[in-house]
Amino acid sequence: MLIINCPYCGPRDQSEFSNGGEAHVKRPDGSKEIGDREWGEYVFIRANPKGLFYERWVHTHGCRKWFNCVRDTSTDEILVTYKLDEKKPNLNNFKSVVKTPSGEPEVGSGNFTVEK
Amino acid sequence: MKSINLKKNQFIQFHQKISFKFDGVKYFGYKGDTIASALLRNNINLVGRSFKYHRPRGIYTCGIEEPNALVQIISEYSEPNTRATIKKIYEGMEIESQNRWPSLENDFGSINNLFSPIFTAGFYYKTFMGPHKKFWKNLYEPLIRRAAGLGKPPKDFKGISNHIHHNVDITIIGGGLNGLLAAKSFINSNYDVLLIDFEEQLGGIINNSNKLSSIDNKEPKDWLKETIQEIEDSKNIKILKNTLVTTYNYINHLIAIEDRFVGSKPIEGKVNSTLHKIRTGHTILCNGHIERFLSFQNNDLPGIMLSSSFEKYMCRYGLAPSKEPVIFSNNSNSNSLVYGLIKAGLKPKAYIDSRSGEEIEPNLFDLIRKNDVPLYTNSQIKGAFGNKKIEKILVEDSSGALNEIKCDCLCLSGGINPDVHLFTQSKGLLDWDEKDLTYKPSKPFQPTITLGSASGQFNFDNLNSDINEKLKTFKVKKLDVKLELNTNTKYNIEKLWEVSPQKKSLWAKSFIDLQNDVTTKDIRQAITEGFDRIEHLKRYTTNSMGTDQGKISSINALGIVSDLLDKKVNEVGTTIYRPPYAPLSFSAIAGRNCYEFYDPERKSPIHSWHIKNGAIFEDVGQWKRPWYFQINKDESMHDAVQRESKNVRENAGILDGSTLGKIEIKGEDALEFMNLIYTNSFTKMKQGSARYALMLGEDGMVKDDGIICKISDQHFIATTTTGGAATVLGCMEEYAQTEWPNLKVFMNSITEQYATFNISGPKTREIMKKAFPNINFSNEEFPFMTFQFHEFNGIPIRILRASFTGELGYEIYIPSNSAPKIWDNIQSVGKEFGLAPYGTEAMHLLRAEKGYIIVGQDTDGSITPIDLGLSWMIGKSKKDFLGKRSLARPDTIREDRKQLVGIIPSNKADKLEEGQHIILDKEIKSPVPMLGHITSCYYSSTLGHDFALAIIKNGRSMIGTKAYASTSSMGTTGVDIVKPVFYDENNKRLVS
Ligand SMILES: [Zn+2]
Repeated sequence: MLIINCPYCGPRDQSEFSNGGEAHVKRPDGSKEIGDREWGEYVFIRANPKGLFYERWVHTHGCRKWFNCVRDTSTDEILVTYKLDEKKPNLNNFKSVVKTPSGEPEVGSGNFTVEK
Repeated sequence: MKSINLKKNQFIQFHQKISFKFDGVKYFGYKGDTIASALLRNNINLVGRSFKYHRPRGIYTCGIEEPNALVQIISEYSEPNTRATIKKIYEGMEIESQNRWPSLENDFGSINNLFSPIFTAGFYYKTFMGPHKKFWKNLYEPLIRRAAGLGKPPKDFKGISNHIHHNVDITIIGGGLNGLLAAKSFINSNYDVLLIDFEEQLGGIINNSNKLSSIDNKEPKDWLKETIQEIEDSKNIKILKNTLVTTYNYINHLIAIEDRFVGSKPIEGKVNSTLHKIRTGHTILCNGHIERFLSFQNNDLPGIMLSSSFEKYMCRYGLAPSKEPVIFSNNSNSNSLVYGLIKAGLKPKAYIDSRSGEEIEPNLFDLIRKNDVPLYTNSQIKGAFGNKKIEKILVEDSSGALNEIKCDCLCLSGGINPDVHLFTQSKGLLDWDEKDLTYKPSKPFQPTITLGSASGQFNFDNLNSDINEKLKTFKVKKLDVKLELNTNTKYNIEKLWEVSPQKKSLWAKSFIDLQNDVTTKDIRQAITEGFDRIEHLKRYTTNSMGTDQGKISSINALGIVSDLLDKKVNEVGTTIYRPPYAPLSFSAIAGRNCYEFYDPERKSPIHSWHIKNGAIFEDVGQWKRPWYFQINKDESMHDAVQRESKNVRENAGILDGSTLGKIEIKGEDALEFMNLIYTNSFTKMKQGSARYALMLGEDGMVKDDGIICKISDQHFIATTTTGGAATVLGCMEEYAQTEWPNLKVFMNSITEQYATFNISGPKTREIMKKAFPNINFSNEEFPFMTFQFHEFNGIPIRILRASFTGELGYEIYIPSNSAPKIWDNIQSVGKEFGLAPYGTEAMHLLRAEKGYIIVGQDTDGSITPIDLGLSWMIGKSKKDFLGKRSLARPDTIREDRKQLVGIIPSNKADKLEEGQHIILDKEIKSPVPMLGHITSCYYSSTLGHDFALAIIKNGRSMIGTKAYASTSSMGTTGVDIVKPVFYDENNKRLVS
């Protein structure tokens, strides 16, 4: 079980939170003309990378606040959590994450157990 | 195998006899015995039959790694698959062997051994997937169901377990020499430390082997006693004994199971086991090593045992399973057994070592020579033979000659492995050590430290420096412990995985996995068939897939595979060890979240009245709602529902609607927010009026519905469906925070603060007048879809004129605490007008007659308001609301989407059923084009026949035509497609 650092309450067990999918997906402005493709992509298309991912969470069984985080999807490591009105962090700032050609970290993905 | 008691032992109380039953026969053991040690004391070594071939099996080990000796504890709700090598006996314990019929000695299933050439690798896949599937159904399945498998499921299980959470700085797993030394470093430090050991006594190899002769110039057991005392006295260290860590999750989250009744019968109603959930800063793994076996012909015969296990029986249980065992080894780990046997006045029948004379340690050589133990170097065991027990072995000596040795016990050692299961669960990486021939922990992924043999340190010379180095990140004292060994040797091993049998035969078996009956031949066959990746090979052969996860054998399999593929073991890799480390009972995981605590029940404030008045309840989410009310025990559900609904149409009925979700929305921008959340426009709506509203997902599909009351532009109250309350509130909060944070609006659930009564029927106005004499209920003063606040006997109430039945109706909202009083009052004044309560089923029938939908029953997440014929509810002039743009997508404006229609049987006497498909042709010719299906269906006594709502393709244009409703159980019924409203189409009754 992960520990997630709620920007309002501090570190809490994952069971208190719900995941809200990709973060920083902008809802098109309803007062303007929106094309079928643009709207369809907003409703249905989300990124699913192996590696660093901007993600939304909500502290459902806590303060009920939504917030964003950067999670490494291959190791589950949450590198930072931040409030909705904070600027999104630059992924290049996370030097601790080892990037291999396949996107597979050297250790921690659980996909292999023996050192390569 | 004839065992002998070694009367000097600190752990076994030889003065305290304990009787127990094994397969119905009474035996005696001593206080402190495990089932295995007690059976060995009684010279019983046949304890079970194997999984597939039903071969006789004995006790192979002395601990958690046991693959064979699994038994059923009859005296504990028939608990199956209990390791006899761990479970302690108690007075009156009843044990049964598993997987045999009719008896362990004469097992019918052992005929499988004769058929064994067909039960080869991939047997299950071939019979499941092969061309002869009929064989599977008619022959194999019935046969295998009876013959295969382990124990039987427990009966009337009533075990209770609880959960305890820990939050500590350091968790030390394993209380052996290294675990104790690590704990010693933390004595009286500022760290919160948890020391966990699986056994009842701390000490590990100090208790289990003859390896150490002194620690800090003291007898090992004296040093142990002092050290444990010091650790126990330290306030910052907590010790958990009888506790096995089964799981090592992300962020140092550990799961451990504690047995609360070791050596005694669990008391019914008391907590049997405790599941510890531990969050720790650092984990120090000191969980030691596991000895592995070797493969040769019949290496599964009862009487064969791991050599360190034999040694543990001697040291820990005061028992030598045999007076003269033969020892077969390829490494130095069994040296201490030779030493221990001779110290106890016993003598190995022979010592066989695959290593050459030069490789064998000089001190072992001396010991063997001095005591005239027959010695075979450069030699291998070609096979073991005997009837249900080992009787003799064949040894190929260095000259290639075969020697037959009669024996009743064979001790095996194939080398040792660090117990890496927990380390790999933590996602740490392993590396192959070519010298020690085993995988050792290399890169940790989490703050994990490994010490001692768990880290692959098989020698003791670097003990102090290793611990001091690895613990240097902590502010602790440096260790300086002096150790002296009985067998002063460095770990040394020669590669040997398997000895090929003397004669080639279809029936000759060298096992690689004892629990799952996998042979080395199966491994060869799997590779020949192309399963040369280790994860594939594991699943194809089921190697290491038993409850023991191949603890004594999985590395041997890797060795054999690497030789066959001519690859390095590191290239072959290893399968991933998954939690739990050992089987974990579901009752322990469930903890107290079972029976009445499994899922909380939510009850309305009127619940006790419902019980008194014959309500039969229905679960709606967590809520208990009256489904219908029985006026007497003989009344059927059908009769009750028809009576209740007829009474609403003719007189008046009252429904407890308290479970409806209620959300209060307030704030400067509440109006704008509501306009964005719901499809309707609330701008021109008058204060004090109400509106039926729809909420969509961004995909344009109907998500929920309800009635919105507008108190002012800054204050609304919304109702939601009973099941949708939490989702709707969550959705409102999400959009308020993420999309429209500039809007000043707040929302709160008030579902439980207010009870709701729905009264409807032609006589409702009379009842309301009498119940609330100070309120004017006339059409002019209180029109349809308006609400008013009043005070009744000091209780603030809100009355909304609305209806879900199609009759004149009112909804009364009352603070929950005052609700029963007002409910009782309405019941008593309503009597003279024929007022009767009705349940959810009659409510469903009444609303369906009016064509009112239920979200989630008549819709399924793929239905738009247009599909439902509810376009009039869409605020088209609004710039934006949830899902608005989706209603103009090419897919949602298609003409041939599924649409809501009504269905009645063409022959009024015919019956319809929910879920029936609507099709065009009476003849069923596959493939049948599916138009849609019936979503709601009832018999109506008002109409006098069955009727239904359905969603069907292009349905609105089909109104007035005929079709068929079909299910295999009811055949095909001719139906008329009609408008989805069956009663009072012009709403005359509603606004009367
Ligand atoms: Zn929070």
